[in-house]
Amino acid sequence: MEIVPMTVPDTLEGAYVLSVVDFFLSIVIIWAISLVLYLLPYLNKLGDVTDESLKGGH
Amino acid sequence: MIEQFLGLLLALVDQTGLMSITPGNLLMIVVGGVLIYLALAKKYEPFLLIGIGFSCIVANVPGSDLTAPGGLFHYAYSGLEKVIIPPLIFLGVGAMVDFGPMIARPSLMILGAAAHAGIFIAIILAKATGMFTIAEAGAIGIIGGADGPMAIFVTMKLAPHLLPQVAVAAYSYMALMPLIQPPVMKLLTTKAERSIEMTQIRHVTRLEKIVFPFVIAIIVNLLLPPVAPLITMLMLGNLLREVLMVERLAKTVANDLMNVITIILTVAVGSTMAAETFLTFKTLLILGLGLIAFIGGTASGVIGAKMMNWFLKDKINPLLGSAGIASVPIAARVAHVVALKENPYNFIIMHAMGPNLAGVFGTAISGGIMLALLGVK
Repeated sequence: MEIVPMTVPDTLEGAYVLSVVDFFLSIVIIWAISLVLYLLPYLNKLGDVTDESLKGGH
Repeated sequence: MIEQFLGLLLALVDQTGLMSITPGNLLMIVVGGVLIYLALAKKYEPFLLIGIGFSCIVANVPGSDLTAPGGLFHYAYSGLEKVIIPPLIFLGVGAMVDFGPMIARPSLMILGAAAHAGIFIAIILAKATGMFTIAEAGAIGIIGGADGPMAIFVTMKLAPHLLPQVAVAAYSYMALMPLIQPPVMKLLTTKAERSIEMTQIRHVTRLEKIVFPFVIAIIVNLLLPPVAPLITMLMLGNLLREVLMVERLAKTVANDLMNVITIILTVAVGSTMAAETFLTFKTLLILGLGLIAFIGGTASGVIGAKMMNWFLKDKINPLLGSAGIASVPIAARVAHVVALKENPYNFIIMHAMGPNLAGVFGTAISGGIMLALLGVK
């Protein structure tokens, strides 16, 4: 079975499909981004970047 | 002699717009006046409404070629048409915003998606009226994202002829959020829920704040190319702010550039509000659907937060959900004020900023997926 890319049809059913798929994927993607953000604190184990060191670097 | 004089006078009158002014033009001049009144007397978004109102008035005074192709205002509109202005606004916004509250508590990010059900309610209703194509319905729905530049960006891609209606609805309802949101929030929550106090959020280090723009820019460019110009510029602006080393650039982007772009944006939007395109039944429908989108988004955000509480040991204040609609920082401020009314010691503004900032990404993600599903690049 070959799956080809397609767009949403210009009908009320199309609006339902667009809404459900968009809402579901939005939640999935934003949830995935939040998972990535949970990893950010681990960066602090690499070292400390102070505001003073950055301001003094220019 | 008199005939000659009258002939010259007639020729002069012909040069003016006096003979071609219509009742529609007069009505739109009144609309422009109302926008300026709201800005000056009621202090509703004066930075936007003064420019929009003024250029709306000018656009409806026939005679000059200011808004015609080749005219000065038309070039301002070209900035929207070529989708240059919205990303530049995001650059400025990025340089103004501290994403710390969002990074500190990623679990609340989901509210930035939950509070966008209003977009889809409006899309379905717009399509159900039978008066709009699905692309037009998408542009109308994005009003519920409560994000002006994103609404303009998506509309220019999907239905550029609806720009004046969508932009006016989006910015007007954003200004009116302190009136629109509280009744919905109170209807869906109990006094006890509105009084829930939040635990302190953790400190976010400079290193995390510097890495954050890179992470988001990579994810968005990879997964959501249609909205990459906006989020990339948002992240660039934020990087300029967080590295602390290029303070001059960050300040220029957040202040001077932002001010210049705001003037161009307002002139561009206002100049599209000519009577012949704006005074239609569809405009009324769009304004109505936009309001439904805002109400629906607020409601779904609050409901989303209440659903989160089913699984959380430390309950969150469900008012935070309403902030997920975007419109930074108005929605966060509204949630804070409603919470304060129940408990004068409950300061939730910093907690509300997390979902509020996530709402910007929520709108961008919804808009990006919508453009992709409709085959727009």
